[in-house]
Amino acid sequence: MTAFIARSLIEKLVTLFFVTVVSFLIVHLAPGEPAQVDPLNPKFTPEMVERFRQAFHLDRPLPVQYALFYRDLFTGRSVSWKDHRPVLEKIAERFRNSLPLFVVGTLLTWTLAFPVGIRAAVGRGGAFDRGTAFLAYLLISIPGFFFAYLLILAVVSAFSVPVLGMETFGFEGAPLLNRANDRIWHLLLPSVLGAGSGIAVLSRYVRSQMLEVAHQDFIRTARAKGLPEETVLYKHALRNALLPFITMFGLTLPGLVGGSVIIESIFSWPGLGRMAYEAILARDYPVILTLNFIAAVLVLLGTLLSDLLYAAADPRIRLA
Amino acid sequence: MNPAPRCPTTACAPPGGPPPRRGPAGAWRALARNRMALGGLVFFAAFAAFAAFGLWATGGRAPLFDPARVRLEERLRPPLAPVSPAADPEGAPPFGRYLLGTDDLGRDLFARMLEGAWVSLTVGFIAVGISVAVGILAGGIAGCWGRRPVRRGTGLAAAALAAGAVLAAGGQAAAGLLLIAAGLLCGLRGRLGRLRPRPGPRREEGWLERPLLDVDALIMRLVDILLCFPTFFLILTVVALLPPSMVTIMVVIGLTSWEGTARLVRAELLSLREREFVDAARALGVGGVRLLVRHLLPNAMAPVLVTATLGIASAILTESALSFLGFGVPPPHATWGNLLADGRRYLFDAPWLTLVPGGAILVVVLAFNLFGEGLRDLLNPQARDRR
Amino acid sequence: MGTRRLLLGLPLAIGAVLLQSVLWVPTYEEQARGNPARLEEFIQASIGDAAVLNPILSTDSASAEIEQLVFEGLLDRDERLALRGRLAESWTVREEAYFHVAAEPGEAGAQAERIAALLHGLRARPAGLSPPVRAALENIRGIEIEPARDETRTIADSSGREVRLRIAAPPRIRLLLERVDPDLFAHLETLLGEGVFLRFRPEAHLETDPPLAPEEKARLARAALPPVEHNPVIEFRLRPGLTFHDGRPVTAEDVRFTWQAVVDPRNLSPRASDFEPVKEVRVPDPLTAVVVYKRLHAPALASWTLGLLPRHRLDAEALRREALAAGKDPASFGIRQSRFNREPVGCGPFVFREWKSDRFIRLERFENYFEGPPEYRRFSYRILPDLLTQEMEFYAGTIDAYAVQPHQVARLSRDPRFQHFSGTSFAYTYIGYNLRRPPFDDPRVRRALGLAVPVERIIEAVLYGQAERTSGPFPLQTPFYNRDVASLPYDPAAARRLLEEAGWRPGPDGVLEKGGRGLRFTLITNSGNDIRKSILTIVQDAWKRIGVAVQTDLVEWSVFIRERIHRLDFDAVVLGWSMGVEPDLHPIWHSSQTGPNQLNFVGYRHPEADALITRIREEYDPERQAALCRRLHARIAEDQPVTFLYAGKWTAVLDRRIVIRERDAHGDIRHRPIEPTPTGNYRFHFNRWVKLPARPVFAAP
Repeated sequence: MTAFIARSLIEKLVTLFFVTVVSFLIVHLAPGEPAQVDPLNPKFTPEMVERFRQAFHLDRPLPVQYALFYRDLFTGRSVSWKDHRPVLEKIAERFRNSLPLFVVGTLLTWTLAFPVGIRAAVGRGGAFDRGTAFLAYLLISIPGFFFAYLLILAVVSAFSVPVLGMETFGFEGAPLLNRANDRIWHLLLPSVLGAGSGIAVLSRYVRSQMLEVAHQDFIRTARAKGLPEETVLYKHALRNALLPFITMFGLTLPGLVGGSVIIESIFSWPGLGRMAYEAILARDYPVILTLNFIAAVLVLLGTLLSDLLYAAADPRIRLA
Repeated sequence: MNPAPRCPTTACAPPGGPPPRRGPAGAWRALARNRMALGGLVFFAAFAAFAAFGLWATGGRAPLFDPARVRLEERLRPPLAPVSPAADPEGAPPFGRYLLGTDDLGRDLFARMLEGAWVSLTVGFIAVGISVAVGILAGGIAGCWGRRPVRRGTGLAAAALAAGAVLAAGGQAAAGLLLIAAGLLCGLRGRLGRLRPRPGPRREEGWLERPLLDVDALIMRLVDILLCFPTFFLILTVVALLPPSMVTIMVVIGLTSWEGTARLVRAELLSLREREFVDAARALGVGGVRLLVRHLLPNAMAPVLVTATLGIASAILTESALSFLGFGVPPPHATWGNLLADGRRYLFDAPWLTLVPGGAILVVVLAFNLFGEGLRDLLNPQARDRR
Repeated sequence: MGTRRLLLGLPLAIGAVLLQSVLWVPTYEEQARGNPARLEEFIQASIGDAAVLNPILSTDSASAEIEQLVFEGLLDRDERLALRGRLAESWTVREEAYFHVAAEPGEAGAQAERIAALLHGLRARPAGLSPPVRAALENIRGIEIEPARDETRTIADSSGREVRLRIAAPPRIRLLLERVDPDLFAHLETLLGEGVFLRFRPEAHLETDPPLAPEEKARLARAALPPVEHNPVIEFRLRPGLTFHDGRPVTAEDVRFTWQAVVDPRNLSPRASDFEPVKEVRVPDPLTAVVVYKRLHAPALASWTLGLLPRHRLDAEALRREALAAGKDPASFGIRQSRFNREPVGCGPFVFREWKSDRFIRLERFENYFEGPPEYRRFSYRILPDLLTQEMEFYAGTIDAYAVQPHQVARLSRDPRFQHFSGTSFAYTYIGYNLRRPPFDDPRVRRALGLAVPVERIIEAVLYGQAERTSGPFPLQTPFYNRDVASLPYDPAAARRLLEEAGWRPGPDGVLEKGGRGLRFTLITNSGNDIRKSILTIVQDAWKRIGVAVQTDLVEWSVFIRERIHRLDFDAVVLGWSMGVEPDLHPIWHSSQTGPNQLNFVGYRHPEADALITRIREEYDPERQAALCRRLHARIAEDQPVTFLYAGKWTAVLDRRIVIRERDAHGDIRHRPIEPTPTGNYRFHFNRWVKLPARPVFAAP
């Protein structure tokens, strides 16, 4: 077990190294300059542009830039080129905003997908199954921003309540309970939108897993023993069908720094996705690369975690 | 967006022989029973016909429907609005009506949809074609020759080549070329060394000859590296930083989505390889590429076809999401994605500019998804029986 | 049984918790209309967040909007765009002019005395002199002799090598002028003899270490010891009793500090080029700042509209303290690193309160503002990155102002709840041609292309009438714009004739040809600008009709600039220039600026235009400067190096309940509707704006 962890950690570190190299190359070899160096501003003289390039080390050879960047990253000294704030501070701030969205989205996905999927599997081929199947495909197929606009328009015209931003603007003085509920309300639409396709895919997967298990011998045995259908379904079938989902749970980890640009832009949500998007447009390399680094670490941790969870849950698997 | 858990295709076949194939009649019967998939197929066929008609009707010197014709006096006309008698009759659409209305420059939305259908279809198919090709190549190599070792020398040569290329691109031409030369030399020496006849007993392997890791591991590590990038942001970064063009977008979408296919093909090949029909073919002297192309791949194609169908759907969606952010296929090409993205500015003034392309994308992507799922059941009789 | 209940109960419970929250949220009605506190707050929506709230560092428009409210400059622009004093109560512009006299070694002092005496004499008895020379002499308030001085300094030569200069400057004459006089030395030459100033040889008074080639030495010597020197001087008188938001007084030391902060190379200030000509800022007393310039530079005065920085927050001592408190290295801690950029302190009408990144910036009125506090208690800047949702929030009443799109104006102007304004902006859009490439080197082709562009149609269709036709490089509302120059009409027939005259004949595929080469080129613009994209489409269509085959391309901004514009790799572009009020066209139209990475990328060269541009820079008299500008406008319009399309109009839509509140001498309150200034600034009286609970009715004027 320890050997497995040690070996896969080393493997992942090597992968991480290559990821850093590749991402560094993508942003640095692409054409264009950081937006701070605005060359079409008559007030920027060529000397100014050159001085900016020096300040950002853009005049150094690539390997040196690479070394300098990751040195700054690990010592926590790298700063955003846009406003000279420490990158980690900026990311932490946005992370705190994105986190509730992620939590509610994940909660919705995982709690809704199971009952829907199980019900569909039990009543296979019935109206509920076909209805949810169609709905699921509908959710996967709709362009995200189109759906968002339709939803916002519907809610705003029906209830005349605000849906944009993280909270109602100017609501700071309200009692705590009101403010808390106000925040929850603002979470609802964007997280439903974010979770939509997740619910669809996961519920279909739950259904197919349940069907897979339902055909295995031990279920037939359980039924033959005369156990009530309830027990067969929820105790025997569900438990065995759950196994693959344990791995999936580890894979949701990278979603922490995901965040959808589109949903965040439409809902004026100051999350990580929007920051990453703006950083890309402004070619704010430190922010892009740091975010990418964190995302890669989370992906690798997630796979490790899911391997371990799987081994812990399934006695048939032994890691060596 | 929360990461949507991927559905693994469960491909189980009776052990031993090649997976069963079905006659067309059986497939058709199965399809007819799955009404959603049938609906998907019908819509898909209709879409393809629409796109083909669009290619014919909007191309050429004097097209039937001219998507580029700007008629400023006829801006933002609602669907079915007649051409106003005062307007310039030249370039007016047939039937004297704007079937789907006009956009902010007075261009006929129906003509633009016709043109966009073909472009969207092209984007979807080529992107997926690239992704499937790369995926099959990588998965095929991993599945078939996965146990071949990669020697340290080769690894060193590749590293030198890559570093050299980067240095050369980054401005250090001299150092870069030196490294490239060193890499080539290193690689060639390994090759020549192996060609030379080796008399006598096997020599002790040199340091450079020792295996570093096997091909399978190499390819899987590559897939791991790719998986470490959040896909949409990777696409966005590359598309935003490179000059925009249709080709860039197709290639980028294709190159960032092949890892699923690769894994699938590899897994299929690994399971197929153990079957008796493969042993039989081997016994008959079929080997290497021929075995892969003639015997293994056809049997591994079924799940790939399903992923490809679903992939086209997601490529169309990705293109529309990029359009929303202003990085979609650039003009003069219209795609449904950028029609939708451009139309949203006029949501309150001309809702059809949003609803028509939005609805069309929804229907077509839905059709692809339903058809893809139907195909999965179809190609996997066991799962179908369980329905 | 338990599992099943759990599986069903959990989502239901979560759903219930989520859905009940809607009952607690204030509806738009409660927030916007039925809420009295809302009347005292002005909420502005913005697509993007500010970057740095420091007037010497920021380049983005969002930061500029906030800075305008938090900071205050010495000067600003009044209703008619003339400069008016803000922190400065008054100011005077004068000049100190210097010249060296040519003389034998050791004779310089005596020679200078002689010339000074001569000038004194001529000033006393100007009879027989021409009026301009007489005026120049009358302008001289004092004649002094600056004694000889020795100086050593180290500078870099043209190859970047360090060179030590030992200067033994001879005495020179200093003239104190009442007004800036760019022609002073030309007039003096008529009195002292033709070429008198060229006879002085600076290289004789200077030694270099290491020794340099004679030409290089002469070049350095001319820079170190110029024979003649104009030193314009601006003296600002500050208003007494001003304070920053933190209560500390505003003094002339802050003026000097702001200049030092801008030109300090460590700060990488984008405003540095404005202040580079400043030689020194003297502070004779706390309320007087005397700014001395190295050379004639007429745009100098306007650069003092820059917001004043508080010295006590940002000088070396304050920064060191801040760095130590934050646990950072003081050596690498500059203004760019300071917290000040996120918590600014100025002396403008609003005090900075709070900034939540990408959510909002909140300001509160400054009770001690020198003109009295603004009527609005609070100013909020909300970041709503999506245009459509901005529009929705505006209807709901939770924002007061947003960037209205041209196509929305027609609809909103019909709504009785809103008032709307529009005015010409300082930016114009044009089609630029690469004049280095054929066929654009032929002015007839350029004119023909311009004649074939249906600009009026573009304005009407793409901009919904929210633009004005323009014919030259100056903003329409300034006196520099020459109204006598007509813009090109839309006349495709004339365009065809002109092209035929230039030798272009239709080819077999309908495309014009000349010498076997078709009239084909690529028209590009940057992506992300819908209006330019539409123009691209219309122009392509219009040119196709006269037989010009045009391809179009959209390129992402940064790549567009770096790969196409800066490398001069384009045929034709649709672009815009955003102009300041100052008429300095040197970077954009002067022939010295046509290289790669420079702004005259179309490659316009004309000797007359060059001369006018240089002269405009040195002319301190507003009337004469405007006349020169109008000549320059006519010159450029004649050459048509670009096709000037239009100057955009900004549009603003406001609730009709927002009015201007005025107090008369008795303290009685009177309301009047908001009216834009003659130059189209509707925000000019923002500090007097107030939102009434009900829509007011005004008698028709």
